[in-house]
Amino acid sequence: MVNRSLVAVVDDDESVRESLPDLLREFGFAVEAFSSAEDFLASEVVGRTKCLILDVKMPGMSGPALQQELLRRRWTIPIVFITAHADEGIRPHVLEAGAVDCLFKPFSETALLGAVTTALRAS
Amino acid sequence: METDLGSQQALQTRWWLWAPGREAHFRSVSDAIPSSLSLVKPNGELEIANRHHLDYLGATLEELKGRAAADAVHPDDLPAFVDAWREAIAAGEPYNVESRRRRADGVYRWFHTYGFPLRDEQGRVVYWYLMERDIDDRIRAEALLAGEKRLLEMVARGRPLTHVLEALCLFVESTTPDCCCSVLLVDPSGAHLQFGAAPSLPPSLIEAVISLPVTPESGACATAVSLNQQVIASDIVSETRWVSSGWNSVALHHGMRACWSTPISSQHGKVLGSFAILYRQPGTPTPLHQTLIERFTNIASIAIERARGDAALKRSEAFLAEAQRLSSTGSFSWRLATDEIMWSDEAYRIYGIDPGTPVTFDLIRTRVHPDNLPILQQVIDRFRREAGELDYETRLLLPDGSIKHLHVVAHGARNQDGEMEVIGTLHDVTQRHVSDEACGRLRSELAHMARATTLGALTASIAHEVNQPLAGIITNASTCLRMLAADPPNIDGASETARRTIRDGRRAADVITRLRAIFGKKEPITEPVDLNEATREVIALTESELNRNCVLLRTQLAEDLPLATGDRVQLQQVILNLLLNASDAMSTVRDRPRQLVISSKRDDADQVCLSVEDTGVGVDPERVDQLFEAFYTTKSAGMGMGLSISRSIIESHHGRLWATPNDGPGATFAFSIPRGPEHVTGAERRTAASAPAVTDAEHVVGSL
Repeated sequence: MVNRSLVAVVDDDESVRESLPDLLREFGFAVEAFSSAEDFLASEVVGRTKCLILDVKMPGMSGPALQQELLRRRWTIPIVFITAHADEGIRPHVLEAGAVDCLFKPFSETALLGAVTTALRAS
Repeated sequence: METDLGSQQALQTRWWLWAPGREAHFRSVSDAIPSSLSLVKPNGELEIANRHHLDYLGATLEELKGRAAADAVHPDDLPAFVDAWREAIAAGEPYNVESRRRRADGVYRWFHTYGFPLRDEQGRVVYWYLMERDIDDRIRAEALLAGEKRLLEMVARGRPLTHVLEALCLFVESTTPDCCCSVLLVDPSGAHLQFGAAPSLPPSLIEAVISLPVTPESGACATAVSLNQQVIASDIVSETRWVSSGWNSVALHHGMRACWSTPISSQHGKVLGSFAILYRQPGTPTPLHQTLIERFTNIASIAIERARGDAALKRSEAFLAEAQRLSSTGSFSWRLATDEIMWSDEAYRIYGIDPGTPVTFDLIRTRVHPDNLPILQQVIDRFRREAGELDYETRLLLPDGSIKHLHVVAHGARNQDGEMEVIGTLHDVTQRHVSDEACGRLRSELAHMARATTLGALTASIAHEVNQPLAGIITNASTCLRMLAADPPNIDGASETARRTIRDGRRAADVITRLRAIFGKKEPITEPVDLNEATREVIALTESELNRNCVLLRTQLAEDLPLATGDRVQLQQVILNLLLNASDAMSTVRDRPRQLVISSKRDDADQVCLSVEDTGVGVDPERVDQLFEAFYTTKSAGMGMGLSISRSIIESHHGRLWATPNDGPGATFAFSIPRGPEHVTGAERRTAASAPAVTDAEHVVGSL
């Protein structure tokens, strides 16, 4: 695979941090996983990230809060939100703030690939 | 003549008193009689008269002979006097007539005349004997009595006080020539006199008198009132007591010379006013005057007290009416023997019926909400059967379609006459009801929202817990497939992801296990439960709901009910469920009372048993068992969980819950659970806590 765009995964759930990077690597992306928004912001990965897969609800800084922080710092990283809460209310909220998509767990690999592809095209 | 008399025995008896030439004999006998006696010829000419007769008229026989016989008769009585005489002459029969005769001093007195004829041997009337008896005292007494009777009648009929007092003055003036009378009243402050009546006195005199304060310096009446004793001013000219206040000059200016004023006292000795007799000549009261004064001040006292009583009664009636209007409370009475129903004005207003309209049950039925009519009948029947108290709520449906809610408190008992009478109050609680209903709706909406929110939160939490591992499972499975599909297949990676898939699957299963632990069956808390007490609490909670549904609730809680063992809250949930089911089952019932009977008892197996009997739509005997299955429901709005949960609660208490169709309409749901180990009843426990033990209370919800 020639496309080695860096996709960052930020999720407090360990099983997501284990499974999602493996699948994305199968798709041919480079992946870095973080267990919190703070860790991601503090890492050198931020500047290289072409797509951010971001959990909505996390201890500490939440997904949407991280989105706002990135906007404030004018780092335009395309974001795909993922959430285990079947709360439709969050979706228009984050899309309006510029997110590429918002996927509800459990999502299919097709939905995931589609969202990441769109994100990379945007970046 | 003497010979004739001697020969005719019959005549002799009549002639013995007089015959020509026997004047001396006549006088010697007749002068001893204290009545007038005279002998008159048929032509009216006086023949002879006794001393009394002559003395009264103040004339000699000779003088009288020169006058007409009717000369001293009062002109008003003359026609009747003459008629009686003429008729007697014509018929030759004895006669009686009453007339006033002028005494020598010019005073007229009433006399009764008895005339009878004296005949000669041929039977011709030759003389008339006239016996005349003074009946003046009797006539006056009769007139006085008649006057008193007429005045008391006026008082009894509630004529205005001024009319009664004026009639009183006029009457006294008519019986006592030349006097003027007045009645003055003490005003509420006691500091002034008020006008009562003075039909023959100039208003300016009365005005001058009542402008003065009530002190012994302010004239005869003010003195009589302030000292509470009779004041006699026999000649105002020589009177010194009231010069300073100017009363003397006012009285004299109006031509008055004598004034006798007497206080009018109430039964309890309180001075109400004064009664005065005034003369244009000086004078002191005669015993007759004093009698008149005593009797008429007494009547004035009765009249004034009656008028004040009436006024006080009217005032308190007005207060009551105002209080009823302000509190929207009407009152009623109902005599059972005659079905005579009385309403207060406010009761008429509440029912929207013109005051004064005769009240009948038919009229009431036109206003009672159709749903409440059966219970109205029940209330009527109940009072016809027995006395006692009823306290219930009912609704009216007025012609304009509006609904009124009434709270009725009625008490049936025998009245003074021994008749059964129900008296009570009707309190218009529509306003309270509207807000209660609004509150009730709000409460149920809140409850629903709370339930929905809880359920939603629960769903979200369960979803989150399950979705996390599911996301892992699907992602891992996808990765696994891709790894296996790669060329060459990445077996190690696939094994790793498959292992993770299993791990996430276990994680999901753990979530379900945890949920079970939270929501699964638990052993109920075990404590002694007084089922009667628990039932009363549930009734208190559901009262407004039952009210809204017009349900008549009767409790028959056994006084000696043993304590049960179990989880009080769970048992109350069962009772609540049964109560609300029963109420729901009657919500479409229109043709009979919606009656709900809750009873508790110790059953044959020494278990504690509670049953809820309704008059609702009933249960299908074929499907009784299905009722207790989950999701089985006959209600459009129900989930079908209530009875299923109730049964599982009762079973966890080692008891039994069952339903039976009634003989009449409706169904009975009942449960029984084992009694507690101690041989103690709830009543005994309550008695220890000195709370009242109610056994057979009746709440009528909806009616009249």
